[in-house]
Amino acid sequence: MKVGKKALFSLVFISLIMVLAACGGDSGGESSGDGEGGNGEKITIFQSKVEISDALEELAATYTEETGVEVEIVGTTGDDYFSQLQIKLNSEQGPSIFTLGNEREAQRLESYVHDMSDLEYTQNIAPNMGLMNGEELVGIPYGIEGFGLVYNKDLVNEEDITDYESFVSEMERLKGEDVNPISLSQEAFFLIGHPSNYPFALQDDYRTYIDNLSAGDTSMTETEEFQKFGEFMGAIKEHGVNPMDVNYDEQMGAFANGETAMVHQGNWSYGILQDYEVDFEVGMMPFPLMGNDKLAVGVGGNWAVNGTKSEEEIAAANDFLEWMHTSETGKQYVVEEFGFLPAMTNIDAGEVDPLSQDVLEASNSGETIPWAINYFPAGVIQNDFTPAAQEFFLNEDATGEDLIEGLDSAWDNATK
Amino acid sequence: MTKRKKWGWFLLFTGPLLLIFLTVVIVPFIIGTFYSFFQWDGISANPMVFNGLENYKNLLEDERFLESAWLTVKFTVFSVITINVVGLSFALFVTSKLKIANTARTMFFMPYLIGGLILGYIWQFVFSDVLKMVGEWTGWGSIFFNWLNDPEFALYTLVFVFTWQMAGYVMIIYITGLQGIPKDIIEAAHIDGANKWQQLKSITFPLLMPAFTISLFLTLSMAFKIYDVNLSLTNGGPANATELFAMNIFNEIFGYGNYGYGQAKAIIFFLIVAGVALTQVYVTKKREVEM
Repeated sequence: MKVGKKALFSLVFISLIMVLAACGGDSGGESSGDGEGGNGEKITIFQSKVEISDALEELAATYTEETGVEVEIVGTTGDDYFSQLQIKLNSEQGPSIFTLGNEREAQRLESYVHDMSDLEYTQNIAPNMGLMNGEELVGIPYGIEGFGLVYNKDLVNEEDITDYESFVSEMERLKGEDVNPISLSQEAFFLIGHPSNYPFALQDDYRTYIDNLSAGDTSMTETEEFQKFGEFMGAIKEHGVNPMDVNYDEQMGAFANGETAMVHQGNWSYGILQDYEVDFEVGMMPFPLMGNDKLAVGVGGNWAVNGTKSEEEIAAANDFLEWMHTSETGKQYVVEEFGFLPAMTNIDAGEVDPLSQDVLEASNSGETIPWAINYFPAGVIQNDFTPAAQEFFLNEDATGEDLIEGLDSAWDNATK
Repeated sequence: MTKRKKWGWFLLFTGPLLLIFLTVVIVPFIIGTFYSFFQWDGISANPMVFNGLENYKNLLEDERFLESAWLTVKFTVFSVITINVVGLSFALFVTSKLKIANTARTMFFMPYLIGGLILGYIWQFVFSDVLKMVGEWTGWGSIFFNWLNDPEFALYTLVFVFTWQMAGYVMIIYITGLQGIPKDIIEAAHIDGANKWQQLKSITFPLLMPAFTISLFLTLSMAFKIYDVNLSLTNGGPANATELFAMNIFNEIFGYGNYGYGQAKAIIFFLIVAGVALTQVYVTKKREVEM
C-alpha cells in the first residue's frame, strides 16, 4: 500500500504543478483587468524612453504619496519597445499607460487605444501636436523635438548655407581647413531616417504623397525633391566621413572636439555636448534641401491609455496623465527632469539649452516642416531604408541616384 | 504491484520534465503551426484571416528569405568545420603531456562562459576599431579594415566569433572521448610500428566517432539556430548581408508585423534543422565502432 501512496503522491504533485501553471497564466490577465487594478488603486506604465525612467519613477512615487494610487513603472530597453509592447498586450499583461510613436502605430493598436478628446486638460495641447486616430485624440505628446544640421558656430556661419551650391562650397572650404565638414552616424534614424524626412516633408501634402507612393502611382525617382535629395546625400558621402564607421557617440565626440563642423542631429543631442563641456557655441540650422529654411519639428512619443482595461483603471490612468500635465510638481518634472520641450500651452519651457531654444523658436513662429517619417509604413526605416542606405555608403561607386532607386525598391518591399 | 511501483517512480521523475517540455515546446509548436495558415499581424485584438497554404507558397518566391537560407547554410558549413577542427586540435593539445595543458584547457573553455550578446559587442569593437588601427599601423589596409562593413567579410566575422565561442565547448566533448580510448591500444599500435599520424587516423578517430556524433549534432543545430551573436555583432547588416534564418524570422514577425507568414517560415526552419540534424546523426552513428 505504501508504494501506491507514492504513486498517488506523485500524481498529486504533478497535478499541483499543472494547477499552479494554469493559475500563473490566468492571474496575469486578471490582475491587470479586474484584480487590484479594478478599483483604481493601481496603474502600470510601460513607456519607451529609457532616459526618463528614473525621473518617472520618482514622479510616480510622489503621486502615490499624494493620492494613494499605486503606480508601477515597467522597465524598458528602448530599441525594441514596440515588439515588447505587442508581446505584453498579447499575453494580456498590457500596461494601463503606454507609448505610441506615431499615427501608424496608433492604427495598428486601434483596438487598444482610448479616446481622450473629451478630457479638459487635453485642450492645452499645442495645435496639431496631439496624436490623432481619425477624429479621436489617442495620444498626449511627450514634448516637441526638432532636428536639422547642428553646427559649430566658430566654424560655420548659418547665413552661408542656403542651398545645394553653398552647402557644397562650404563643405569644400571646411575640408580645405582640415575640418571634417559633416558627419552622419550608423544608427538607422541618424543614417537615413531623419535625413529622408526632408524630401517627404517638402511635398505639398506629404500624407497624400506617401499614400500615392504606396499605391504605386508615383515614385521617388521621378519626384524632384528626391532627385535633389540624392544629390545632397551624394555630396555628404563625397565630402564627409563614412557614417558606417561612426556611431552616435563618436559622431558627437568628434563634433564636440571641433573635428567635425556639422552633424545631422536633433536637440536631444545637447545632453552629450554638455558632458563634453564644449567651449564653442552651437546652433541648429535647416537642412537646405531645395532652399528649405525650416527645421523639422515633431513629437517623439505620445502617452496613450489602454482602452481595454476596466473603467476604473482607465479613469485612474487619465487622472495620472492629467496630474502630470497640470499640477506644479508634474509640470516641473516634465520640463526639468524629463528634459522635454513641452507641447502643452499651459507648461512653460523655462530656461532651455541652445539647440532646444532654436527648436522652440521655430515651433513658436510656426516656421517648421513636419515629421513625415511619422506617417511612414511601420518599420520601413529600420527594415528597408537602412539596408539601402548602408549599401549606398559602403559601395564606393554608388551615386545619389542609386540611393533614391534603392529607397524606391525598399518602399515597394515594405508596402507590397 | 511492482508495475504500479515502477509507474509511480517513472511519473515522479519524468512527469515534471514532460510537463515542462509539453508546455514550452509541444504546445507552442502546435499553436505556431496553426498560426502559420493565417494572415495576421500579431496583435490579438486584430482579425486573423485564414489563407490556407498561401504563406508557404509565398515562401518559395521570397528572395530575401531564400538569400537568408543560403547564408545560413554557408555559415553553418563553415562554422561546423572550423569549430570541430579547432575544438579537436584544442582537445589533442590539452590531452598531451605539455606542462601548460591544464591552464590552456581553462583558457580555451572560457569564451563559452561569456554570453553571446556580450561577446558580439566585444568583437564588434575589435573588428571596427582595433582591426582598423592595426591596418593603419601596419599599412596592410587591404587585409585589416573594418570587416563588419564589408558584405563579403561580415559573414566570416560571424563564423570567427562563433568558432571562438564554441570551440572550447566541443573541446570538452572531445577530451572526454579521447580519455575514453584505452592506452594499451595506442601502445600496441606504437609497437606495431604505426607513426603518430597513423595512430591518429586508424585508432583515435574511429574510436572517437561517438564524440564526433555529439559534437557535430550540437554545432550543426546551434549554428542553424544562431541569433544572439548575429544580433549583437552585425544585426543582419551591412545591407542584410548577414541576416540569418532566425533573424529573418524575427524581423518578419516583429519588424514587418507578418505573424502568420513568419510562423510559416519558422515551421520550414524547424523541418530543415530537424532533417539535417537527424540525417547527420544517422550517418555518423553508422560509422561508430564497437570496441
